[in-house]
Amino acid sequence: MNPEPIITARGVTRRFGGLVALDGIDLDVPRGVVQAIIGPNGSGKTTLLNALSGASHADTGSIRVGGHEIFRLKPYRIARLGLARTFQNIRIFENLSVIENVKVAAACNSPTSLFNILTANARHRHSEADIDRNAREALEIVGLAHRANDRATQLPYAQQRLLEIARALASKPNVLLLDEPAAGMNMTESMTLLDTIARLKNSGITILLVEHNVRLVMGISDRVTVLDFGKKIAEGAPSEVQRNPLVIEAYLGRRHRHA
Amino acid sequence: MKPPKMNSWPILAANIAAALAVPIVAHDGYIIQLLNIAILNAIVVLGLNFVTGWAGQINFGQAAFYGLGAYTTAIATKAGLPWITTPFLSVIVVMAASLMLGLPTMRLRTYYLAMTTIGFGEIIRLIIVHWEPVTGGTSGLRAIPGISIFGFGPQGQIQHYYLLIAVLLLAILIAARVRHSVLGRAMIATRDSEIAAEQSGVDTVRTKLLAFMIGAVYAGLAGCLYASSIRFISPDSFSGTQAILLMTMLIVGGMGSIAGCIIGAVALTILPEALRFLGQWYLVLYGLGVIAVIVLAPGGLASLASLSQARRASVH
Repeated sequence: MNPEPIITARGVTRRFGGLVALDGIDLDVPRGVVQAIIGPNGSGKTTLLNALSGASHADTGSIRVGGHEIFRLKPYRIARLGLARTFQNIRIFENLSVIENVKVAAACNSPTSLFNILTANARHRHSEADIDRNAREALEIVGLAHRANDRATQLPYAQQRLLEIARALASKPNVLLLDEPAAGMNMTESMTLLDTIARLKNSGITILLVEHNVRLVMGISDRVTVLDFGKKIAEGAPSEVQRNPLVIEAYLGRRHRHA
Repeated sequence: MKPPKMNSWPILAANIAAALAVPIVAHDGYIIQLLNIAILNAIVVLGLNFVTGWAGQINFGQAAFYGLGAYTTAIATKAGLPWITTPFLSVIVVMAASLMLGLPTMRLRTYYLAMTTIGFGEIIRLIIVHWEPVTGGTSGLRAIPGISIFGFGPQGQIQHYYLLIAVLLLAILIAARVRHSVLGRAMIATRDSEIAAEQSGVDTVRTKLLAFMIGAVYAGLAGCLYASSIRFISPDSFSGTQAILLMTMLIVGGMGSIAGCIIGAVALTILPEALRFLGQWYLVLYGLGVIAVIVLAPGGLASLASLSQARRASVH
């Protein structure tokens, strides 16, 4: 494990009225790992992801990504600091083509001005060429290059999920947050997705994923964090976490009671 | 909103050729004058398309920006300033106004801008109506000096028509260029999902503000040209009704479509005149027509063209 984690969160708390969705969460994500956040429904997984990405800020706490304090920073600033994400409910840009969806994020690191755009000068053409190349690379990684010019809405559901991953990759992130990336995918599609995640890890991207399907997660994760009722109840290697009595209680105990 | 297609160039060229040929066929000054207003409206609607069609923010202040440009130009030229200064003055005035309106409201949700701009339109109208010594009040301003650049300027309606066609082409070119740039994609991304756009690194507040300001500049410049080519302005041309009419042009023509803006603006400028013989029945027909377009072609009239194109493509 690298000495300095890429994500260090301390005491992250988020309340919705009387409900404490996140209750003083501490989270360390070492560089270059695949770490999963699991937990029963309503345990605060997505809320934690939203707090990390700035989509919905935490009330108190400290969150450092790559050494930068990002607590209460605007989401676009967090994205530019190298943290990208996908969404549980797909949020593609429906009025853009597949490649344009990816280009939106690929522009993350290519600042331009209205003057450059209007005059279509060399700097503008250069940056558009960069954006195009990055976007095509990202589509290549998830295997959507052949659909670049289609409308994003023409893609089937599973491919829209892949498009979100490509879009996140196009901003050249250090950390990638995946919110239930396999939701709605069949077995073959899930397997391809796992393969893609493994390749991303090998390319040096740290991946933090929330997943409902625990079995899917255990195979690819180096570390697993378990949440229950907004609290962290366990953390460690998949094999350790699986044996943890608190985790078994949280999952199986409750399932038996409901059944 | 579609990705650019190579085959759109012949269509554009054919339309330009047709537009250039119009004055040869139509000698009637009244028709040319009507077309000139249609072109000016098209420029204003193209501006509205940045903020509403692409960035998805409802803006009812576009008529007020149109009016600000027109009154700035009329007042400046009547006070003896050379015409060449008026486009710049108009742009400065509308940029200042749109910045003041946009900065506080763009952080909020869509309908706040809608409400703020309705209020803004009303304020501008009241100022125009009541500041009589300067604006001429309800009777407006007459005999506004014409376009003149170092002594040269268009004479007669047909020359104005060609000048306005050239400006419209430039407005289209700029809109197309923005659409296929970082900024245009960011605008549409902001409209489709503000949160996904933010998480992709798009500063959505800045993007919405830019869209709003570019739109205001389009309206301000169109207002400048309106005052100095029609030579008469009154508050009616820039009222809240006009703001709604501009929005209708955008919706009927096709939100987010450059061709749609022009189709919508030209159709809804000419139809009321062409159907004048219907008297008050025109409004009934107009209402039914708008409903028919929204129900049958939610993408606007421009989407009909691309639909039939797609159908032909699938047959061949």
